[in-house]
Amino acid sequence: MSRRVYLDHNASTPVHPEVLAEMLPYFSDVFGNPSSVHAFGRAAREAVDVARERIARFLSVRPEEVVFTSGGTESDNFAVKGLALARGRGHLITSRIEHHAVLRTCEALESQGFDVTYLPVDDQGRLDPDDVKRAIRPDTIAISVMHANSEVGTIQPIAEIGAIAREHGVPLHIDAVQTFGKVPIDVDAMGLGLMSFSGHKIYGPKGVAALYIRRGTKMLAIQHGGEHERRRRAGTENTAGIVGFGKAVEVRAREMAAEATRLSALRDRLWEGIRARVPDCRLNAELAPRLPGTANIVFRHVESESIVLGLDLKGIAVSAGSACTSGNVEPSYVLVAMGVPVEWAMGAVRFSLGRSTTAEDIDYVVDAIEPIVRKLRDASPARRAVAPA
Amino acid sequence: MRYSAVLVDHFLNPRNAGLMRDPDGVGEDEYEGCGDLARFYLRVRNGRAVELRFQTYGCGPTIAAASAVSELVAGRAVEDMVNLKAEEVERALDGLPDDRKHAADVVAGAVRAAALDYLRRRDTDV
Repeated sequence: MSRRVYLDHNASTPVHPEVLAEMLPYFSDVFGNPSSVHAFGRAAREAVDVARERIARFLSVRPEEVVFTSGGTESDNFAVKGLALARGRGHLITSRIEHHAVLRTCEALESQGFDVTYLPVDDQGRLDPDDVKRAIRPDTIAISVMHANSEVGTIQPIAEIGAIAREHGVPLHIDAVQTFGKVPIDVDAMGLGLMSFSGHKIYGPKGVAALYIRRGTKMLAIQHGGEHERRRRAGTENTAGIVGFGKAVEVRAREMAAEATRLSALRDRLWEGIRARVPDCRLNAELAPRLPGTANIVFRHVESESIVLGLDLKGIAVSAGSACTSGNVEPSYVLVAMGVPVEWAMGAVRFSLGRSTTAEDIDYVVDAIEPIVRKLRDASPARRAVAPA
Repeated sequence: MRYSAVLVDHFLNPRNAGLMRDPDGVGEDEYEGCGDLARFYLRVRNGRAVELRFQTYGCGPTIAAASAVSELVAGRAVEDMVNLKAEEVERALDGLPDDRKHAADVVAGAVRAAALDYLRRRDTDV
């Protein structure tokens, strides 16, 4: 294998060298419990506070509005359950294309007596703010939508939804795991009440994330124990992870704008290259504002997992839109919600670019994918109607 | 790599993939769990499969299994092919992960169906 190309940055990213360097002392030298009053503990506390301040500064929010968690899934659970349980009953609004961390949480709340409206999206994966407005009821207690979809990259009109939420006095939570550190976020202009965001999508470590909670938001903790994080999230702080998260944010603040421009150009180069070489393919959410580095491309007549395997054998890491697990395969629920026909959706592949991606990488991928898709199609009965007799 | 070198080779270089004109037998099988589909075409002379072609839609192991079995059973008596077991297909691939065993099932099922189709046609002709 001559070359390795990682195009799965929406799944996870490598820890930035500056982040790793900053974290290392906190595994051994500065190992105290941030809750301890002695010097060892105080040193760890100071590191956690510095990280919190860095993140708060990046978001232009107060440090006490940032609560550290163990990951995006916990942040989403905390946001949605915390809002719901603080109110006891009522109605929530979300969308059909949310991450499972929100969808499954909403389903769990339904089983506890809450009502949930799952809003549709259009063929580009966009929510219609008017649908949000129409869905609001007198007993609506929360709106939770993702800022950008991890599979197709569609960025939602959050500011418009936020204005509606504010007008009706309903707290808005966004899952910004895929956008934080990649596109600008203004919590006030977007009308956010809460926001989930994570470290390992922005070249920080895994196992650390945060939830922004606007001051004054009525919430219940969902994890109980000590009085950590101002009694909002019990559990000894992951000091090294939090330090790394803070440093990752600092690096992103420096790199974000230029990276967005660079990755958008590479993403377009990828699509143009594939479109020119491979017939019967299409770019999902082509007309929507999208994440700079995300391209979800469907290849008709082939199953995405076989493309992923073919690319893997060429050293290229991408992600399949439909995953065959234990002999069961379902097309992506996101693509289904967008109205993508199942026969297309089964051939969806997500390419997500990042810091290390170069133009040479993109050209290598374009060169690699054409023969892989051609061979798979040659063997595919789904292509019977157009195959040579 | 979770797949054997044999499987990877068949996936990257599938043998006998494609349609066959006027086959003597054709059969297919589908794995309902994931929609994987395999179709086999047989050319038969003196009761033996002298040529096999296949088409598959599915994950990599299914494509590799079809390719491997097209070599495995070439020259075999069709009356024996109706008893082809998934285990034999799996052995030809040097094994399959637990969550991909269906690749051998669907391919073995398609070969059996093609063999039965040939035998039906033969018996009908007589």
